[in-house]
Amino acid sequence: MMDRQVILDELKKVLAPYTENKEALNNMHDQTELIKDLKINSANLVDIIIDAESKYNIEIDMDSAEKMMTVGSCIDVITEKTNQQP
Amino acid sequence: MRSAGNDIVALKTISTKRTGNKRFYSKILSDTELELYHQQAFGEMPFENFVWLLWSVKESMYKFLKRSIPHLFFCPSKFIVQHIHFPHYVSGIKFTGNQLENTDLCDEDFCRSIIFFENNIFYSRSVIQDEFISTVVNDSENFSKICWGLKSIDDASYENQSKEVRVFILNKLNYFFPNDNLRIEKHPAGYPLLLQEEKEINIPVSLSHHDHFIAYSFIF
Repeated sequence: MMDRQVILDELKKVLAPYTENKEALNNMHDQTELIKDLKINSANLVDIIIDAESKYNIEIDMDSAEKMMTVGSCIDVITEKTNQQP
Repeated sequence: MRSAGNDIVALKTISTKRTGNKRFYSKILSDTELELYHQQAFGEMPFENFVWLLWSVKESMYKFLKRSIPHLFFCPSKFIVQHIHFPHYVSGIKFTGNQLENTDLCDEDFCRSIIFFENNIFYSRSVIQDEFISTVVNDSENFSKICWGLKSIDDASYENQSKEVRVFILNKLNYFFPNDNLRIEKHPAGYPLLLQEEKEINIPVSLSHHDHFIAYSFIF
């Protein structure tokens, strides 16, 4: 099982192209909200899902994607999907 | 349901290559919505614009419903777009200045669609231009009580987009309510509230910004 801190650090790199708020990005934690705190435009949410899919070689259906509003829920979904891999 | 929902997408910032990838567009469009593109005559509308048109409609719907369903998450597949009426893609209105408002257009100028969400029917009006797609939605076919505006701005930093869209809508509202000292705040659920001092005004507002474009809508 992947460590949550490792995923969080990798997630910072995934999110970096989509936020101007580098301070919030560097300090992000489970409760950080992608749109409200990182000021990510909603139009980039699908980009982030696709980038996370490529990074972890997983498929994130939109039912799961709708939960990805906070950093913590993103880590939950990535953890769940990577654990489902054979 | 008394609410407001709008969205604007700056088309120059989106990746046409990525949008055209099935992995990307299948997260926004259902198979039946994809069929609409192939079945209907959309003039010269590129496929990527069709994808972002539907995104814009669905995002507007999410904002419209968030006011009455605060726990709602954005999931494009929950909103089913049907009956897209697309009159004149090329020959329609042209955004030549830096601002456009509802009074500048008539109903025939819009791309119109019907949206289904959990057995309820909603309606959209979208302006499609080379640089942007902007949508407003309503739960009635009558959009005469909806005010909307969109504008291009020079400084596209996120902070400035957010600031300018508030100034833009308050300037318009001050026209109707002079000296009312109005301001906008965000409800904890994420949607904007119109306040006069500490009192909430019963005018649902919706704000949107993307890159060099900002847009608002509200209903009287």
